[in-house]
Amino acid sequence: MQILSASSAAGVLLDLSGVLILLLAFACLGSKLFNRYVAYYGAQSVVLSFAAGVAAYTFDSIELWILAVATLAIKGIGIPVSARRLLVQRLDLKRDAALSTGLSTSLIAGGALTAFAYLVTRPQLLPHGLVAAAVVPLSTAVILLGGLAMVVRRHTVAQLIGWLIVENGVFLGAITLVATFPFIVEAGIFLDLVAGVLIMLVFVSGLTRRLASASADELRELQG
Amino acid sequence: MILLMILAAAGPLVGTAAAASGARGRLAGWAASAGALASLVCAVWLLTGELHRAPLLGWGGYLYLDSLSCFFLLTVAAVTLLASVGSVAYLSAEQDAGRLSAFQVRLYYIFFGLFAALMLAALETGNLGLLFVLIEASTLASAALVGLEARASSLEAAWKYVIISSFGVTIALAGTLFLYYSASGLHLAAEYRLAWPYLFSHAHALAPESLKLAFMLAVVGYGTKVGLAPMHTWLPDAHAEAPSPASAMLSAALLNTGMYAIIRFLAITHARLGDGFPRAVLLTFGFLSIVIGVLFMIRRGNFKRLFAYSSVEHMGIIAVALGFGGLLGLYGALLQTLNHAIAKAVLFLTSGDVALRYKTREASGVRGLLAAVPVTGGALLLGSFAVLGSPPFGVFLSELTIVRAGFATSSPVFPLLLLALLAVAFVAFARTTTGMVTGQAPAKARREITERVIEEIRGLTGQEYVHMYASDRKAELAGTAKK
Repeated sequence: MQILSASSAAGVLLDLSGVLILLLAFACLGSKLFNRYVAYYGAQSVVLSFAAGVAAYTFDSIELWILAVATLAIKGIGIPVSARRLLVQRLDLKRDAALSTGLSTSLIAGGALTAFAYLVTRPQLLPHGLVAAAVVPLSTAVILLGGLAMVVRRHTVAQLIGWLIVENGVFLGAITLVATFPFIVEAGIFLDLVAGVLIMLVFVSGLTRRLASASADELRELQG
Repeated sequence: MILLMILAAAGPLVGTAAAASGARGRLAGWAASAGALASLVCAVWLLTGELHRAPLLGWGGYLYLDSLSCFFLLTVAAVTLLASVGSVAYLSAEQDAGRLSAFQVRLYYIFFGLFAALMLAALETGNLGLLFVLIEASTLASAALVGLEARASSLEAAWKYVIISSFGVTIALAGTLFLYYSASGLHLAAEYRLAWPYLFSHAHALAPESLKLAFMLAVVGYGTKVGLAPMHTWLPDAHAEAPSPASAMLSAALLNTGMYAIIRFLAITHARLGDGFPRAVLLTFGFLSIVIGVLFMIRRGNFKRLFAYSSVEHMGIIAVALGFGGLLGLYGALLQTLNHAIAKAVLFLTSGDVALRYKTREASGVRGLLAAVPVTGGALLLGSFAVLGSPPFGVFLSELTIVRAGFATSSPVFPLLLLALLAVAFVAFARTTTGMVTGQAPAKARREITERVIEEIRGLTGQEYVHMYASDRKAELAGTAKK
């Protein structure tokens, strides 16, 4: 299997996109407006598709090119646009008030999780000098930040965005760590993602019709 | 043989096709049952064939069948058959009572067939990436079943289920990624590097550090689907809110499919890293699940939640058995899987009948089942003793085997702790179910009470009052007469 070295041009570009994706995850964690959540997620997906394009160019693989285009079309454009139309505008969502901690607390926790991600992916795991050694800790951090966003935010739409960020983190890792999964698997993962977003859209709009706002704060009926 | 495998997985789709092409509720239900029966026949056929044959492998490892997958195939197909026969009765009763529309019933059968077919397909693939894809897809199909009744509480349960499970399974995808990476030293083509049989036979050459991480992530990720504590929080809500046959599918088929995925990762990890590390991981999650399950079973309340927490406990027992390991441990774990699946499916199906008759899901509202509906009451009583591991039933044998495996492979503290927890679980569970089964039926009792009250009122307002009035008048008349 081909593995990129960190000093090659492609390696530097991938490294850079990894850093951008992490920063966008932090931006999403530090924001309070629903519009921004969706916008940061869309930007993150565009950077991700760029990273996939770089990998595709380097390995000269058609499957990776298809993946990059699909990422751009579905995650970069399709999901953000439909989330904005169907959720943010139709439900008239503006400020997210359902946060269980302050923004600064969650940002500090995010910093701690990033440090933890570097701790877990120690050098024994990944040999030095590979681009993966730099990017996999970044992608682990993005996964953890997405999880943190899901925990801290209690509005269902914000939780959905958190899950999508987790998914982006896994994808970033997949691109750099193993170049690509077999294509059938990749396609299946994409299908699952789309189906998942669709079914979650149905639930969110159903919940909003039943409750005043679909914040998990109101989801208190089921306990114990 | 490959045709037989495809048939086994595609069987439940008959119900989906029937409902999608516009069949009415009952017809779609019988179509689903026929499909499930076909799957079960295929599974039995495959299992009997499997006993004298090498594992089946096709399509570059995407199709794979060995005795382990045959066994799980049999379990899931049997549960699917039970649940789809149960669905026919339960859904038509709900539809007649006006709680579900004809459209919702059709939707139910569409997603029910899809859910079952995806699980069966997950058991037949040897590619760990495709395993993730199918398990995630089955989550989505079953989420639609949980939210079917579209009340605020069932939508809430469905949301909780889909978001927690999707997150969990995404973690398992990260685990699969690290497993894939750990095989980068092997010279295998890309699709073989995720194929379980190749990974298993080359386990000695996998990179140990990333394999460790992969196993941890897989246990946490697929453990979310299995309902291992502390990732179990979606489970009681989803089980309580889903229509009862769907709860049976969740508890007896979905959880087992998740456990199957963990067993696949365990086999590779065990072959590379030996006993110590997987045992520590599985015993920790297993005992935590048993403790959490037992603690919440003590609380009385919704009986479907009680059964759900009992599932958490049983999945914990299976994880502990896998942790003990060895031939005995594995045998106990698999036997426990089958026994629990059948007994719990029976319990959830009877719980549907109870909920329909008593119009409540609270255990305190249900009394005297044996007197009111002897068959349902008897099934509930037998089912709960079967789940608890009372001697004539299979769970007794499998739990005994697990305890023996514990004494054989690890320090005696663990099996003794397991025995103590099982005793507490027995008391907590039986306290509620025997209370539901015995006693006087409330509907009858209530009618008697109302009749008595009506008598009293009639007595007081009617004749008695007339008498009192009359005697007063008499006294009055007598008074005026004296004057």
